[in-house]
Amino acid sequence: MDVLPSEEEQMVKNLAREFLEAESPPRLARDMEKDDQGYPPELWNKMAQLGWFGMSIPEAYDGQGLPLTYLALILEEVGRSIAPVPFHSTVVPALTIASDGTEEQRQEVLPRVSQGSLIMTWAFQEQDPRLLPEAVQAQAVADGDHYVITGTKMFVDNFNVAEKCLVACRTAPASADNQGISMFLVNTNTPGISHTPLVTLAKDKQSKVEFNQVRVPKANLVGELNQGWTVAQAMLDRATVLLCAQMVGAARKDIEMAIEYAKNRVAFGRPIGAFQSVQHMCADMTIWVDGAQLLTYEALWKMDEGLPASIEVSQAKAFCNDKCQAAVRSSQVLHGGMGFMMEFDLHLWYRRVTAWTMRLGTSFEHRARISKALIDQPGKVWLGMDQIPVA
Amino acid sequence: MDFAYTPEQQTLREEVRQFIAEYVTPEILAEVEESGVRSRGPKTREMYQKVADRGWIGISWPKEYGGQGGSRIDQYIVEEEFGRVGVEVGGAGSGAPAILAAGTEEQKKYFLPGLIRGEISFALGFTEPQAGADLAGLQCRAVRDGDEFVINGQKMYTTRAHSGSHIYLMARTDPEAPRHKGISIFLVPMETPGITVRPLWTIQNDPPAPRRTTYGDRRTNEVFFEDVHIPASCMLGEENTGWYVGALGLNLDRVGASRYLLSVQRDEDIINWVKENDMGGYGPSQDPAVRDRLAELWIEAQVCRLMTMRSMSLVERGGTFTYEGSAEKVWAPEHGVKTTETIAQILGAYGQLLSSSEDNIEGGVFAHNLMGAFQSGINHGSAQVMRDQVARRGLGMPRG
Ligand SMILES: Cc1cc2nc3c(=O)[nH]c(=O)nc-3n(C[C@H](O)[C@H](O)[C@H](O)COP(=O)(O)OP(=O)(O)OC[C@H]3O[C@@H](n4cnc5c(N)ncnc54)[C@H](O)[C@@H]3O)c2cc1C
Repeated sequence: MDVLPSEEEQMVKNLAREFLEAESPPRLARDMEKDDQGYPPELWNKMAQLGWFGMSIPEAYDGQGLPLTYLALILEEVGRSIAPVPFHSTVVPALTIASDGTEEQRQEVLPRVSQGSLIMTWAFQEQDPRLLPEAVQAQAVADGDHYVITGTKMFVDNFNVAEKCLVACRTAPASADNQGISMFLVNTNTPGISHTPLVTLAKDKQSKVEFNQVRVPKANLVGELNQGWTVAQAMLDRATVLLCAQMVGAARKDIEMAIEYAKNRVAFGRPIGAFQSVQHMCADMTIWVDGAQLLTYEALWKMDEGLPASIEVSQAKAFCNDKCQAAVRSSQVLHGGMGFMMEFDLHLWYRRVTAWTMRLGTSFEHRARISKALIDQPGKVWLGMDQIPVA
Repeated sequence: MDFAYTPEQQTLREEVRQFIAEYVTPEILAEVEESGVRSRGPKTREMYQKVADRGWIGISWPKEYGGQGGSRIDQYIVEEEFGRVGVEVGGAGSGAPAILAAGTEEQKKYFLPGLIRGEISFALGFTEPQAGADLAGLQCRAVRDGDEFVINGQKMYTTRAHSGSHIYLMARTDPEAPRHKGISIFLVPMETPGITVRPLWTIQNDPPAPRRTTYGDRRTNEVFFEDVHIPASCMLGEENTGWYVGALGLNLDRVGASRYLLSVQRDEDIINWVKENDMGGYGPSQDPAVRDRLAELWIEAQVCRLMTMRSMSLVERGGTFTYEGSAEKVWAPEHGVKTTETIAQILGAYGQLLSSSEDNIEGGVFAHNLMGAFQSGINHGSAQVMRDQVARRGLGMPRG
């Protein structure tokens, strides 16, 4: 038991921070909000050279084969610097290909992701935005060597620049055996696909994607037919914990800015940071982000150990949603009117953290998963038990 | 990062649980309930000896002083398991960490084995009528007189003064020096002439709070010192450095199992209670609002656990605290209060029934918790003062 980052982990994090402080100033995030692509290819390429995208991809596919924790520590720093890159949306489906894809799919996807020449995304959510199997209505119907996909996907991250998209589709009604969901790796330039950009709080690039009779070769099925919910769940858990890491990084930087501001801004003849009520806000903000970070790290550790981690992931995300939000809102409050001004940078962090609270599961959704495990499974629970029974 | 207990530590936990199942009998538990008012009963002492024989007290203390030279985490495991049934063993509030850090060779040789055998136990003599959260304002005087000190003054809320063998006393040795620089610590035998103990009864005494209640203390004390002569060798650490020695003790006391359990035991209790009382599918366990709140409390309790683990990890690495102990001391007690008050709203009218009521739930522990939980945010550094420390020491914010 040693819950603090190891020397190597800390080193990876420090190097990432140094790089991003130099290469990804807030100006870049601001510019990319107005950019059609939404990311600077130069920065993307430099990150690729550092081996970041292949961090947790097996060495056989040009990756570094490191535990997910390392990738998350990098993403924490990416969150800290709010670097505008389609990093998260690329590594998430790539890791699913690594764990559930066929050998051909791995060969096709993973080395290119590791090298930075392939941008990806995934599509799960639909009109009902909940991350439940019932919400998946897009149909994939077998037709010869192909499946034909029809339906509408929402909130697809970086679809505008992605070359491939991992799509959750309904291939059968839910049954006693399975949820009837299957996952397909789709080239985004396949005829029948169209997308509309969504205007979001974070001013990031999300799309509504319409699939109209889109023909996908059967070889692009990822995982077993109708068994895709298991694949999707694992993907969503991974995506969620990585997003938590990003939120923690962004929230940490955000509150550091507020604490610094409070030390310097003078009111009533002294720095506002000398007022106890302000100090106590800052203490709470720190405690909240610390808590979010600890929960995130524990979930990552469990995943890396190959242990069931869905409860830990939900713990982390529900807490991040509530507390990172509260922390960045407090930062806004401490900045008075300034945080509300477009020209001042703080909102860049505030808007992202806030938007991320609505991605990959709301607090209610995650807590419902937790209560189900805590309450509906037999046996006593205690804190620190190895494994909370999972429904 | 490593969030796991080692296989040996898991075995240790199992062994402790088996021991508790076997030896911590209802009679002992009944004695323990009384011990807040009287001293430790005979059966408890016997049981405690067995615990000591197994080498489970002072696990992390050096071998030369009767400890096991083991890890702080092993010790934590033992304390946690005993704490869950409401029995305090060894370690935590004992003063031992500070004695180890600042004591003389003689003091270590005398006190540590005595603490392990259960022959020595400390009352904590910090608070005074006019010095609580602002402890550095304390006035109790210790005046040097050759090889002795003479103590005059009063302590307040000195919880174990009636049962402990010694008092861990903070007194002013230099009234001219700046507040924090004129304080010393003394380890004073309670039987020294001139010490008088007067009970202070709490709101938990009648009916008596069940074991495991958060701040179920039925009694604390006032302690009066009138020309109390003690040898200078009772001093812990250098003269006038008591503030720092004391702070060291407190910081280490904040990270133990007992502090942690104070804030999270009701989380486990209420979840297990609603599971066992589903009223044929009609109970609070099926209410979506209740389920959501329980999950929320559970997550917060996990943060308590992880903050405790963070402190343990820091100690194990030999690092120093900047703000971590204080952060934990803000978060965990306030969480405990939230849980306690949420439970009241889950149980409804039954939640008010105290220990002596036949119809109470779980012995009335939830009702008694409503009288005690908030105390955990006052004692050992109040939440307000702890927030000050996080801000000032941890974040470098200016003094007001
Ligand atoms: C059951 C029980 C057992 C105890 N056991 C012991 C013991 O064994 N040994 C011992 O030495 N003491 C013990 N105490 C005392 C305890 O540590 C004190 O009660 C505590 O330090 C608070 O001091 P006080 O009661 O004088 O409150 P005050 O110091 O008068 O505080 C009152 C309120 O003012 C707030 N406050 C104080 N200063 C500030 C500030 N700067 N900013 C904002 N708010 C502030 C406090 O947070 C608190 O809410 C015990 C108390 C109880 C109730």
